[in-house]
Amino acid sequence: MALLTVQGLVQHFPVAGSRKVVAAVNSVSFDLEPGETLALVGESGSGKTTIGRCVLGLIRPTGGLIRYRDVEMGGRRTVRSPELRGKLQLVFQEPAESLDPRQRLYEQIDEPLRALGVNRADREKRVRAAAARVGLREAMLGLYPAEISMGLQQRVGIARAMISEPEIVVLDEPTSALDPTARAEIIDLLIRIQRDLGTAYLFISHDLSAVRQISHRVAVLYLGMIVEQGPAAKLFARPSHPYSVGLLSAVLLPNPTIRRESRISLAGEIPSPIDLPKACYLASRCPMVEERCRTRMPEVETVEPGHLVRCYRHEEVVRDGDAVDYFARFQAEAERILGAGMPPQVSTGQPMNESERGNVDHG
Amino acid sequence: MQLLAYLGRRLLFVAPQLVGILLVSFFLLKLIPGDPAVMMLGPFATDDGLARLRAELGLDRSLLEQFLIYLGNVLQGDLGTSWQTTLPVTTDLAQRFPATLELVTLALLLALAIGVPLGVAGARYKKGLLRTTADYYGLFAGALPDFWFGLVLIFLFYTTWALVPAPLGRLDFVILPPPEITGSLLIDSTLAGNWQALRNAAGHLVLPVLTLGLINAGPILKMTQSTMERMLESDFSRYAEMCGLPERVVARKALRNALPSVVTIVSVLYGFLIGGAVLVEIVFSWGGAGQYAVGGVLNADLNPVMGFVLYSAILSLVIYLIVDLIYFAIDPRTR
Amino acid sequence: MSDRQPQDPVIALEGLTVAFPRYGGEPVRVLKGIDLALAPGEVVGVVGESGSGKTMLARAIMRLVPRPGRIEAGRISFDGRDMGQLDGEALRRLRGRDIAMIIANPRSELDPLETVGQQIGNVLRHHLTLDKPAIRARSLELLRQVSIPDPERRINAYPHELSGGMAQRVVMAIALACQPRFIISDDATSGLDVTVQAQVLELMRKLVVERGTSLLFITRDIGITAHFCDRVAVLFAGEIVEIGPRHAFFADPKHPYAILLLAAYAQNERLRRYWLGDTTAGAAEGPATTGCPFARRCVRAQDRCRTEHPRLEEMAPGHFARCHFPVER
Repeated sequence: MALLTVQGLVQHFPVAGSRKVVAAVNSVSFDLEPGETLALVGESGSGKTTIGRCVLGLIRPTGGLIRYRDVEMGGRRTVRSPELRGKLQLVFQEPAESLDPRQRLYEQIDEPLRALGVNRADREKRVRAAAARVGLREAMLGLYPAEISMGLQQRVGIARAMISEPEIVVLDEPTSALDPTARAEIIDLLIRIQRDLGTAYLFISHDLSAVRQISHRVAVLYLGMIVEQGPAAKLFARPSHPYSVGLLSAVLLPNPTIRRESRISLAGEIPSPIDLPKACYLASRCPMVEERCRTRMPEVETVEPGHLVRCYRHEEVVRDGDAVDYFARFQAEAERILGAGMPPQVSTGQPMNESERGNVDHG
Repeated sequence: MQLLAYLGRRLLFVAPQLVGILLVSFFLLKLIPGDPAVMMLGPFATDDGLARLRAELGLDRSLLEQFLIYLGNVLQGDLGTSWQTTLPVTTDLAQRFPATLELVTLALLLALAIGVPLGVAGARYKKGLLRTTADYYGLFAGALPDFWFGLVLIFLFYTTWALVPAPLGRLDFVILPPPEITGSLLIDSTLAGNWQALRNAAGHLVLPVLTLGLINAGPILKMTQSTMERMLESDFSRYAEMCGLPERVVARKALRNALPSVVTIVSVLYGFLIGGAVLVEIVFSWGGAGQYAVGGVLNADLNPVMGFVLYSAILSLVIYLIVDLIYFAIDPRTR
Repeated sequence: MSDRQPQDPVIALEGLTVAFPRYGGEPVRVLKGIDLALAPGEVVGVVGESGSGKTMLARAIMRLVPRPGRIEAGRISFDGRDMGQLDGEALRRLRGRDIAMIIANPRSELDPLETVGQQIGNVLRHHLTLDKPAIRARSLELLRQVSIPDPERRINAYPHELSGGMAQRVVMAIALACQPRFIISDDATSGLDVTVQAQVLELMRKLVVERGTSLLFITRDIGITAHFCDRVAVLFAGEIVEIGPRHAFFADPKHPYAILLLAAYAQNERLRRYWLGDTTAGAAEGPATTGCPFARRCVRAQDRCRTEHPRLEEMAPGHFARCHFPVER
């Protein structure tokens, strides 16, 4: 049984002073298993953040079902209700904005536990353990957020989210505001925490190389609709939706010889979510567009079990593509180039199981 | 179109806002101890006479009833009578409100003419004479009480140098006032072609306008300078500089972006000065609206006070509406 | 300037040092002895994290170092002329006309109260003294060049009515307005969505190549430089620690900090752990003041690194690194 099930989620926001609505989320369905990472990938306006908020019960969806442990969310049952408190947590994009500038780091991490009514001695033990887990030294706990770097602030944000031992953490672009090295450290940290605690992540991001590293499964969103979803390794190697291809070939990995060259390149920009296209949402930007794409929304089709796509011509997309996971190729190259400078005892160490990520089959 | 819809929405709220303001001020005023009947009949009044007068004034009824009666009268354009002047409040205010408006408007124009350029200069130059002037001006204008400053001006310009007419009202007694059209003596006498009255009225205006203008230039200067500094350090100014635009063009862009704050502070000062100029009005025996209202409060003469509150409230609403229209004109994001 | 060769650099920085005075101490040097020259039509990427001095580099070249900082030493020559010899007015004329800037967050850097047309027009009017019809014609042409659809309508738009990608294109149009010889892009595409970023980068590359304009592309995203720049420079603590031709740099990075930046993208945890060092230590201590500034974070650091400041040395033709113990492959 899935930990979290989202079915036909719809979220429309009214536009002030008009009868129109912003169609932020349009019938989104997915589930999340214990201990897995599902990435919601998309550009601005794709509705990924809104989905995260709905899952936490921070906003009431216009339609659809969200079930956590087989019980429906909504009404009074939100992230704030007593039986769910601490079970679902959130990590924000801007660490500085999610922390109280006038509170010491210790209190910030401690706060969720106080809300849960944990006794003082237990709290202290758990705060110190959480701080150690995210790599914050004891001495830092007395500092204020402004006194530490952004990467460390994000560690505090993660410690705060993890302290109540949640089952699901919504990570809303947790690496986007960070410098590359801090970003790498945060990704490492998140992977390690998941391995140790078995927390499930809903990882919301537009950073595809972070997604590739951290996720087991990926859902690609466009204008509030999932256009493709599947196991990370499969989706990155054989993207079946033109938008996924466009997204992947726009990623610039730090190796000049590696880039997805594709005849699919997306024109223009994402249309307004106020006046949605009538049929396939990508029709206005897609180089493979046909008449039927403009008249009727394509149904969800199964490429193979667990890999779903919403495109009439997905077979051609795959056939014309080169079926290469450029991220994997990049990783192999990086290991070759960067491994060269490492002393032999390090480079012959135990292989980590990280390369398995993305290949995990959750049935 | 959008503008009209907006104005319509705004006007819809004017009536309830005014009733609310009247309600609150009515009950607040009733909290002040003091019996108008006692005030009117003096110390030798009989209990019987007092009771009769109270019944006549409606003071024996409940507060709510009194308020509803007052409100009903207001709707018919009757603001009651002042027992001090024995004239209808509308007549009194028709005379006094324009006097205050003329004074405050001219004073704020002067304040703008001083505050904005000095504030801009203070923001543009990090040191130098202009910057020092701006800094000290802001300090002194904030520290000087306006009535005291008015007295100093009278001592210098009237008593010592005799450059202006006596500080007693808006016009010398010997001068025939122009027929009243707008209530502003400057405008009315110009319209009537009465140059003698114009010169005399202008002479009377000089000192009070200087007093209020020089003092209130302080906050305008401070606001202009701080907003302007922020705008000059903002991203778009830095970018304009990197595009090689001349410094005066960069400053002009910054000033345009700073204008909404200046407009806001002017509107706040305007509303405040309608009643807040009262000390200066007293010093110059101006016979303005503020003076009238204070007299009413001190003598338990409520109708003038309520009338003043109503007029000021309407004026404030009009000012805020104008402010919104100015924002609308300056900033495309509000459209 | 008839004696100048076509391959003479458009812009050359020699020993550029920018310092901020500090009360009761040595001034803080945010840029230290930067040497860099761009040939006509060349695209050079400068990669650095926050605090590396990369934004200051852009401002120093523009000669717009914010107070109380100042250019303490070094020389910037544009087209062979020493910019330090120019007065304020001459520098202003250079900015936006010969040296243009493309910035990040264009929606906050454009004047919110002026239309696109007015903002392009400002630059055209003050640098080229065109008349009104000519300004309009040229503005429309520029908007077309940066592939803005429906330029007749967009010329009257205000910045808040533009998407991030559109605003970025407008800023590019302003940069191209006077056909500059040299453009600096400061983190320009960082706020854009990836598909839009790809479009903007392609356009930028095309416009630069067509005109033979030199481009200094400052970014924190080392991935972009791999696909977009002719040469790549890595900035750390105000110094160039490595610079080389794109392919040589990425195939054979020499400096441990450059490798660290690359390892940040590696999935292999061993690699990352090794090059990024102990994550709990973080970068909290800041760069060292004696010896190699990177020594505290460097996995290869030895005693010599803590005492002796390394010089930028040529490892392969055109490929320089500032390291006592560069990585050999």
